[in-house]
Amino acid sequence: MKLKKGFVIHNTSSDYVAVATGEAGETFNGMIRNNKTANTIFELLMTDTTATAIVDKMVEKYDAPREVIEADVMSIIAKLKEAGFIDE
Amino acid sequence: MSENKFNIKLADKVIELDCIYPYIKEFCKDYLTDKRPEIFIRILPADIEFEREKAAKEDVYEGIPKREFPADYLETVAAYRKIATKMLEYDVLLVHGSCIAVDGIAYLFTAKSGVGKSTHTHLWERCFGDRFTYINDDKPLLAVSENGVIAYGTPWDGKHRKSNNVSFPLKNVCFIYRKNENHIEKANSRDVFLSLLQQVYRPDDVALMQKVFSLMDKCISKLNFYSLGCNMDLQAALVAYNKMNERN
Repeated sequence: MKLKKGFVIHNTSSDYVAVATGEAGETFNGMIRNNKTANTIFELLMTDTTATAIVDKMVEKYDAPREVIEADVMSIIAKLKEAGFIDE
Repeated sequence: MSENKFNIKLADKVIELDCIYPYIKEFCKDYLTDKRPEIFIRILPADIEFEREKAAKEDVYEGIPKREFPADYLETVAAYRKIATKMLEYDVLLVHGSCIAVDGIAYLFTAKSGVGKSTHTHLWERCFGDRFTYINDDKPLLAVSENGVIAYGTPWDGKHRKSNNVSFPLKNVCFIYRKNENHIEKANSRDVFLSLLQQVYRPDDVALMQKVFSLMDKCISKLNFYSLGCNMDLQAALVAYNKMNERN
């Protein structure tokens, strides 16, 4: 599972932004403002991965119970799939 | 050189345009040059078809009846898209906004179409008379460097065709919105990047989009950004000008 080809991520001092070009841009012509958590997930989804691998990485990074992190990750992945951003 | 192959100078770069229709040369008449080109742009029938389909998709998205555009007009759109893409290699960014100058300093007003950018800059024209110059009322080019940002006129200047073949240093950018009482303040730094991103040319290529982000970062470090709520009174221009020229 990974993000469709063509997403470009950019971080500023106050924002995490993603824009779709190429294949990703065929279905999405806007821009995305992510929070820090969603941005981390975006970055991990730039290469082929699994939901479990993402949760594992997030557990290493954030000091929160695994179940809480897993719920957040699954929720964000579901939204990305619904938006058509994910290649399975 | 064939009739539809000619050179223009935009943002200090000489561009050879090899086009299908004669209209675009007339369209670019104030920017023609006989200097040697460093950029070569050729328009193909497929480029015009791309613009036709893109315009049709946008009309569907906006929920308006599909508009038909003549091929020679679409050629001008295709040409500017190719120019804007190529210019990124030279650290030049295309932005959607009304760009004007007073006393040799440029000001850029940006917002979605229909909000009132041109209406506002026309107030500046009325206020400042001979001190005022249009740079480009719709899509100026911004050359970004360590020394700052220079705004350039181009022929792609909007429906009122307001532009001049000039360039001035850009210091201030205003995000405009409609408001009953005129009010200007420094833009919330958290909103500047996303607001600007909505008004810059976004190429359909990962590496070029990363270049756009890099140029935007540089612009943000060099320019002052304001949020301007305004009406159509002449006073709106003075409120904006006075704030942007306050001594800090």
